[in-house]
Amino acid sequence: MSMSYKEKSLIASMGVTLLLFGWYFYGAFSNLSLNQEPQLSTIIVLIVLVIISEGIIQSFVALKNKSLLEDERDKLIERISYRYSYGFLSVCIWFLMVQILLDTWFDNHLILTTPFGIFHFLLLFFVLSEVIRFGTQLYYYRKGI
Amino acid sequence: MSKSLSNNIRKLRFEADEMSQQTLADKVGVTRQTIFAIEKDKYSPSLEVAFKISNVFKTPLEDVFTYE
Repeated sequence: MSMSYKEKSLIASMGVTLLLFGWYFYGAFSNLSLNQEPQLSTIIVLIVLVIISEGIIQSFVALKNKSLLEDERDKLIERISYRYSYGFLSVCIWFLMVQILLDTWFDNHLILTTPFGIFHFLLLFFVLSEVIRFGTQLYYYRKGI
Repeated sequence: MSKSLSNNIRKLRFEADEMSQQTLADKVGVTRQTIFAIEKDKYSPSLEVAFKISNVFKTPLEDVFTYE
């Protein structure tokens, strides 16, 4: 079975997200700089890079496909993937909230609950929830619903 | 034993002068991949799409889809 426009578009988006945010998180977590202030310029460059890369790749994918039609199956798969993504993000937010509560009991000794630690983990959870959204859509396109 | 939806779309396409999946998809207003998924019983279409498919083949709905 050949891939539809939606599948190609999803693979492209997932690739861009993993590559660019992977690069950012590698830098943020590899030297345990969670206490350091996130470089605003790095984040702006990252967001601009994601927008430009997405624009170029999606235009290329759209040019290569005759039909850009989105039908009821696409919408159903998208709805299911949002449910998984939302579930994951909710669990992560609760996890962070519990960490913040625990931190107050342990006299602010948890690295995760420093303001910049929370920033990095929140960004990581948002990116992971996006990856889950792309991944579940691709899974249901292949497996069927 | 659980029941499942099956269909005769492949046979109906063959009888309709080997109508391609793309032609059927264009007439119904869905993507070719959706027609492929319906044919392979990997997706159960909405009533609207099911009726549109039966209209394309000018056949009653129960001749296109069976639930057993």
